[in-house]
Amino acid sequence: MEKMKIKDFISELKENLEVEDEDQEITLETNLKDLEEYDSLSVLSIIAMIDKNFGKQIPSSGFVKVTTVSSLMDLIGKEYFQ
Amino acid sequence: MSVKIAKIEYYLPETIVTNDDLEKIFPDWSSDKIEKKIGIRERHIVKNNETALDLALKAGEKVLKNYNKNKINFLMLCTQSPEYYLPSGACILQDKLDLKTNIGAFDYNLGCSGFIYGLALAKGLIISNIATNILLITSETYTKHIYPKDKGNRTIFGDAAAATVIEKSEEEQIGEFVLGTDGNGYRNLIVPNGGLRNKYDPDAKEIDDGSGSIRTDNNLYMNGPEIFNFTIKAVPKVVSETLKKNNTTLDEIDYVIFHQSNKYMNEYLRKKINIPKDKFCENLLVKGNTVSNTIPIAIKDSFDNNFIKKNYRVLLVGFGVGYSWGGTIITI
Repeated sequence: MEKMKIKDFISELKENLEVEDEDQEITLETNLKDLEEYDSLSVLSIIAMIDKNFGKQIPSSGFVKVTTVSSLMDLIGKEYFQ
Repeated sequence: MSVKIAKIEYYLPETIVTNDDLEKIFPDWSSDKIEKKIGIRERHIVKNNETALDLALKAGEKVLKNYNKNKINFLMLCTQSPEYYLPSGACILQDKLDLKTNIGAFDYNLGCSGFIYGLALAKGLIISNIATNILLITSETYTKHIYPKDKGNRTIFGDAAAATVIEKSEEEQIGEFVLGTDGNGYRNLIVPNGGLRNKYDPDAKEIDDGSGSIRTDNNLYMNGPEIFNFTIKAVPKVVSETLKKNNTTLDEIDYVIFHQSNKYMNEYLRKKINIPKDKFCENLLVKGNTVSNTIPIAIKDSFDNNFIKKNYRVLLVGFGVGYSWGGTIITI
């Protein structure tokens, strides 16, 4: 299993959520639901991103609990990151 | 004995709902964003007094305009928007379409996989010498099941009916089928109330899904993320199994028509399966997701717009509510 760098994960997340504001900083503590771009379609983007990078499907019930980037990484599994 | 699709016609109800209309109702929705992400700009919806049977009749009349209706000796209606619990809509349609009475007719309840199952059944009926000329009508009015405040589902779904004639032919034009079912996911796309398990509840409470869509248990519920998870697992598999069962490869396929769920999901699946973009049907823009109708409508539109031509081999894949899925390869 190839581990993903947290920096790369955040940058891909930003791209997938279509955060266009270059100055919008996303950190481990950023609450995804506070982002202007976050809506019901964002979950689809995150599902696609997780499948593409980790070949893994996360049950939708898991996303209800997601708040911060860090909590999303917990949901995917800390072992997937370096 | 061989089988082919002889004709397809479809009917869309007159009323059109645009993204701009939806943006007025749901101010946080961006018309451009919807189109960019899910590939839909407009959808047709039925009027209050218009039903799936009305649409089915219109589509049936259209296809029989240039086809000898006395040849039809079997009628199938695929719908999840039935006129009554009983009788079957197909029985009513037999009379309204003025078809012969010495024919078989029945309804079956499937959604986005429905057209593939209809083709499979039609092929079976013809090969077993039970029928020779079959009228398969898919007709759906999901908008009747959708709660007015359900932003997500109102954006995705449109109403339509399609009528397909399948008949005996010299050459085999409908290939081998792969069908699948996983009822474990039945709760993820459902109208919970209104059947006999949970009766329609006039006092049903509003349920907010947390992302701006509100419904009640009397209405259509779709767990979009879970449906996406299902398609990620099921669709690549049904594609490879259908190719294998037909002794062919993706390179030998001229065109691919998936159920038109939404652009985002279909594009993700296309990339995951490595289907070239120019071979992949995208037909959501002015019709939306019309459930069991998207595949016959896409075949007709692709043919009329020259994306597919005579002798093309086209891979068809349907997937959705149930869960239920199926694939086959047709020759145009």
